Amino acid sequence: MNTLIKIILLGTLLAAVPARADTTVFAAASLKEALDQLVADFRQRAKGKVTVSYAASSALAQQIVKGAPVDLFLSADLDWMDYVEKKGLVRKGSRVNLLTNRLVLVAPKDTKASFTIGPKFPLASLIGDRRLAMADPDYVPAGKYGRAALEKLGVWQEVSGKIARGENVRAALAFVARGEAPFGIVYRTDVLAEPGVRIAGEFAQDLYPPIIYPAAIMATSRSAEAAALLAHLRSPTARVVWERHGFGAAER
Amino acid sequence: MLSAAEIEIVLLSVKVAFWSVAASLPPAIAVAWWLARKHFPGKSLVDAVVHLPLVLPPVVVGYFLLLLLGTRGPIGALLEQIGIVVAFRWTGAAVACAVMGFPLMVRAIRLSIEAIDPKLDAAAETLGAGRAGVFFTITLPLALPGVLTGVLLSFARSLGEFGATITFVSNIPGETQTLPLAIYALTQNPGGDAAALRLCALSVILSLGALLASEVLVRRANQRVLGHDTVGRG
Repeated sequence: MNTLIKIILLGTLLAAVPARADTTVFAAASLKEALDQLVADFRQRAKGKVTVSYAASSALAQQIVKGAPVDLFLSADLDWMDYVEKKGLVRKGSRVNLLTNRLVLVAPKDTKASFTIGPKFPLASLIGDRRLAMADPDYVPAGKYGRAALEKLGVWQEVSGKIARGENVRAALAFVARGEAPFGIVYRTDVLAEPGVRIAGEFAQDLYPPIIYPAAIMATSRSAEAAALLAHLRSPTARVVWERHGFGAAER
Repeated sequence: MLSAAEIEIVLLSVKVAFWSVAASLPPAIAVAWWLARKHFPGKSLVDAVVHLPLVLPPVVVGYFLLLLLGTRGPIGALLEQIGIVVAFRWTGAAVACAVMGFPLMVRAIRLSIEAIDPKLDAAAETLGAGRAGVFFTITLPLALPGVLTGVLLSFARSLGEFGATITFVSNIPGETQTLPLAIYALTQNPGGDAAALRLCALSVILSLGALLASEVLVRRANQRVLGHDTVGRG
């Protein structure tokens, strides 16, 4: 029997063994640094492997609905968790609201100007013929919140043609950090993660729907550790880490 | 039939592909001729560098382009001073496609030039044709099938380019969102399946059309050059 066939057979065999201890987490891109740290702590006592995949919540929701084998989903808005839940993919009783966040206007680090953002904020003329970086305002949570804020300010019409859409909020953040876009709309927590940007203005919290990160175990999860990991993410120790990265607590 | 947005995506894709091919054709012919006809130290290295975009992950090419041609990049900053910005623009998408398609173009043209008997050049020169005259009246017309093949391969590559484009110029509807990027954006979002499939169908039609057109063009060029229509020459 040649080696290739042996390898294929071995691979099939390995794939067929149920890996119940391993845990796969799908998480909103904005959670990266904080969640990496919390998962690193958890790994020390977890039995199996813990893998985290970061992307836009919309893209993750799409993959989950298409059958991705996920144990724990952390979305950056309620809509995409609702979407997954409506498809019957959330384990009953496991869904919680974990974190809150806020929206800011950022500019590259080496710029100076700061703005008070109010109605008719002249964002379009500030951008000029360049681009405003934000996550896709049609689907990605950070983009949807940003769009809601700009609509409420009455400037969406004039700004909508000047947007560089990032696949997720971190892609938008990178555009600004590299100086390709003079402004971007991201989460306040993202600013702590990227030394290349600074806050140029804050969006008042009544301009956009409350930013809430729900978490839930997926109905198809076979991981024995998923519940323990979620509990870990809700623990008082974890709260300290979340807060250090700028997130607020959604649970009282 | 097609929505306004779909028409915009197709037109943009064709525009980007057209300009990427138009801009890379002259240098590709020059490099192909150089590699086919000249022997110089370091030729294998030049050859390898020309082929690099073919073997590098496209995201690497896109990232290099962003670092070099971004508004803060060394070349991008210079270009910006004379008013040329390619970052986030469709022109940047064309640059990315041109770089990715360059090796395909050079390869096809070079093979075609190598197949031409150098004695023909020499004969033309003894008959009084200058260097440039030989190139434009002998070499280039005889290499036409290769040039056409190169143009088409590079055009097709441009229509399909994804990794370098999205890394370099992002995914901006109406500006840099070509067919593959639009399809990708739709597949990333719940409920986008039907629209994605429509664009996939468009993509198949466009690519198939380009291939068939190339077949016809190359056959005609061969007839003109060889007097018969066999493709590929000994």
